[in-house]
Amino acid sequence: MSYLTRWSRKRSIWVFPVNAASCNGCDIEILASLTPRYDAERLGVEVVASPRHADVLLVTGTANSMTRGILKKIYEQMPEPRLVVAVGACALGAGVMRGCYNVGHGVDKVIPVNLFIPGCPPRPEAILFGILKLVGEHPRGQVVAKEQIGKVSTTEHEEGEK
Amino acid sequence: MDALEVVEILVFPGLTFFVWLAFVFEWLDRKTTARMQGRIGPMLAGPRGILQPVADFFKLTSKEEIVPQFSDKLVFEWGPPFFFAAPAIGTIFIPVVGLNAIVSSPYDLLFILFVLAFSTLMAGMLGYASAGRFSTISIGRLVLQYASFEIPLLLAIVSPAVAAGNLSISGIVQAQSNFHWFVFVVPIGFAVFIVSSLAELEKPPFDIPDAKTEIAAGWMTEFSARPLAYVKLTESLSYVFLSALAASLFLGGTAGPVLTNVTILQDGIYLAYFLIKVFAIGFAIFAIKTALARVRINQAANLFWTVLTPLSLLQLGIVILLR
Repeated sequence: MSYLTRWSRKRSIWVFPVNAASCNGCDIEILASLTPRYDAERLGVEVVASPRHADVLLVTGTANSMTRGILKKIYEQMPEPRLVVAVGACALGAGVMRGCYNVGHGVDKVIPVNLFIPGCPPRPEAILFGILKLVGEHPRGQVVAKEQIGKVSTTEHEEGEK
Repeated sequence: MDALEVVEILVFPGLTFFVWLAFVFEWLDRKTTARMQGRIGPMLAGPRGILQPVADFFKLTSKEEIVPQFSDKLVFEWGPPFFFAAPAIGTIFIPVVGLNAIVSSPYDLLFILFVLAFSTLMAGMLGYASAGRFSTISIGRLVLQYASFEIPLLLAIVSPAVAAGNLSISGIVQAQSNFHWFVFVVPIGFAVFIVSSLAELEKPPFDIPDAKTEIAAGWMTEFSARPLAYVKLTESLSYVFLSALAASLFLGGTAGPVLTNVTILQDGIYLAYFLIKVFAIGFAIFAIKTALARVRINQAANLFWTVLTPLSLLQLGIVILLR
């Protein structure tokens, strides 16, 4: 793989979010990571409207029997190279619904998953961390510190929570 | 055609120059939108993220190309280069350095109108060729929208030509030297042109054919990899093309005060005038696009047929009477 290809894949991440029987909590956190405070577009992330344009599938929810087929179909519609990120406790296992007869038990039972982001729901920082990890950039590395990634998780925000 | 002309058409101020300008325009678009929304915008690819559109383009060219099973394979695979060719050929007629374009004929504007129509026609063909549900709905909307904005756009383009008494873009630019900008002569025509070019570019408030929240990615839904890269590049090139056209027809394009007698320096000054005007128009379009929400298709048709068409006819009448 040439330097240009590697560089462009690292710098341009087009994401297609899928709600596979999620409670919407994780989807709202994904939305929050696009808002001014976190602004995932800084990293080259763009939310696209069609799976044919996407590089990364962001799946939330347990992938139950109703959404399993749809999820598989969307995954098959994506062009290679494709990556799958499971966001939230439900996508990792079944979260609070574990053991229920009517829920799926994790996205990785349906399609191959490259990265898991735990949390119920995960914070936007965690989602950004996951995306950076996916493309091989460490958030505490020099590149990102320069671009104010640190700003999103400063004490100011923590104080606001107390 | 000698070697110098070939270089002019392919490198500067022709194809390569305009493609890089298109990348810069897309970056400025994303940055302006982000700033207006209180975000930062692309930061990591190159200084201040200026290489973000380049990264997007090269990433798309390196991806797997998917051709849908029931698509028209010939049009689907070979259409995007033709789609790209439309604005790329149109840019040759616009003066960038000096007061004359690379290619100039007495009938430039007729060809420009053909280029604008061909661009929409290719979009329609590409959408139908991909045979997707969303694409089909989108093309229906695109054709309806085209039927609405075509007439005002045409009349808005014709009014500066009437004011200059010339159909060649170079001639229109030369008629505007000494600050006789046609935006002061045909202000309504300028406004109509900007609104119609928003519709031609499928940008808000007229992004009806690729309404993200309604019909996925519109007629681009089935495209992936290289065809998508071409389609996206063509979109930004059309952006530059229409801004350059507006700058040339209404703001005087390269025309401006002559500062030196040295030809090369003066050419550079002409280029600076041109770029300032193009970016001014570009920023106006970015600001309108970010600030406004999408209208429904019937509202758009209503606006174009009952407001903008009479306005542009009125403008044309005024220009003919004033001449």
